[in-house]
Amino acid sequence: MPAKSFQYKLLAEKWTNRHRSLQTEIFEKHQDAFKWLADNSKQLAVGSLASIFLLASPAAAKISVLSTTSTQVSQTIDRKVFLVYDLRNVLPSDVRPLTSDEEKNVSEILTRDFGIPVSAELDGKKLNTTYGIIGLEQHLPRFPGDNIFTHFNNNADTQQYWAYGMTQGLGAWGYFTDSSGTLTQKDIDREKYYIAVQTFLAPGFDSNPKEYTDFFKYRKMLVVNPQNGKAIVADIADAGPSPWTGKQLGGSPEVMSYLERVDGSQRGPVLYFFIDDPNDTIPLGPVSY
Amino acid sequence: MKGKHFYSHLVEINEIYLSLSGMDLSEDERGHLLSLAETNIHATVINTVLSELSEEDKKIFLKNLVADNHEETWKHLLEKVQNIEEKLNRSLRELKKELLKDIEEAKKS
Repeated sequence: MPAKSFQYKLLAEKWTNRHRSLQTEIFEKHQDAFKWLADNSKQLAVGSLASIFLLASPAAAKISVLSTTSTQVSQTIDRKVFLVYDLRNVLPSDVRPLTSDEEKNVSEILTRDFGIPVSAELDGKKLNTTYGIIGLEQHLPRFPGDNIFTHFNNNADTQQYWAYGMTQGLGAWGYFTDSSGTLTQKDIDREKYYIAVQTFLAPGFDSNPKEYTDFFKYRKMLVVNPQNGKAIVADIADAGPSPWTGKQLGGSPEVMSYLERVDGSQRGPVLYFFIDDPNDTIPLGPVSY
Repeated sequence: MKGKHFYSHLVEINEIYLSLSGMDLSEDERGHLLSLAETNIHATVINTVLSELSEEDKKIFLKNLVADNHEETWKHLLEKVQNIEEKLNRSLRELKKELLKDIEEAKKS
């Protein structure tokens, strides 16, 4: 790695971690005051959100941008701060399957904050866990002949996501469509925002694999990074990873990038809950508050 | 009161800027690091202030903060916290020292 890039990364990581520690200390020490602020945000005169954003978003900090755009964004307090705080209060310190009560608390918080109905169990089916370590997956071929050179619609995506490569095999449900000519925006989004979950470990899967497979196919899930409050609507398009990897699910490069999650020694957990969307009205992709 | 924050008149980051200038960084990288330095300064100030206030005064402070009312925020703090300026200066001096030390360590790596 060039010295320049290494020094920058070293400092950026150190200062981001320093800010995270401070942020944790502040919210833990003064939780009642911030809870009051969240509860009363609609009644308060809000001139600028920069003060709160600066507490909440160290990695994405761009002071000048925040200052100039603060009047353009809606006049509510940044809910991300409070989501992170609320989740911290209900999640265990270690990453493990949540109890029914914990899942209920989390689903209530997520449904309330995002306005999307989510649950750990849907139609009597649930996954092996709703809180797990996420790993990085590669792009999936969407149709016969789709490869890393045909995969992207624009230069920005090519530059950002080309290097992650494409799987040799297909996703759990095969190709997304028959040919490039029949590729729709829905197919594109399904691959772009896909996750792989351990469908084969779902309670009841072995007794009726066909029914479970049909249920999981492109099932929408809300995936949330509990440490930064970022959330994305993803769909199940692959099965995995293997239990021995120590990971419970995988995300496409686009999902991982948005959630600010990485693989390897720095990997971390996400929450993933089913979205009840029988009429298919909730779009795939990043979710705003 | 002019400035981006109620405490802007207390903050001097020229030393950090100059120290970063001595590193081989792109404009984007330098800008991002300065932003991170500012977020750390902001969090340090908020932490210092909230630690000095009663529960009720914390609410008033946060209310003034999100209203972007720098003058009112500062006036409230002067009333409620003895030697607030000195306390903030001390926290900021310590933070700046640590940030500069981080830069020097990164330069040597």
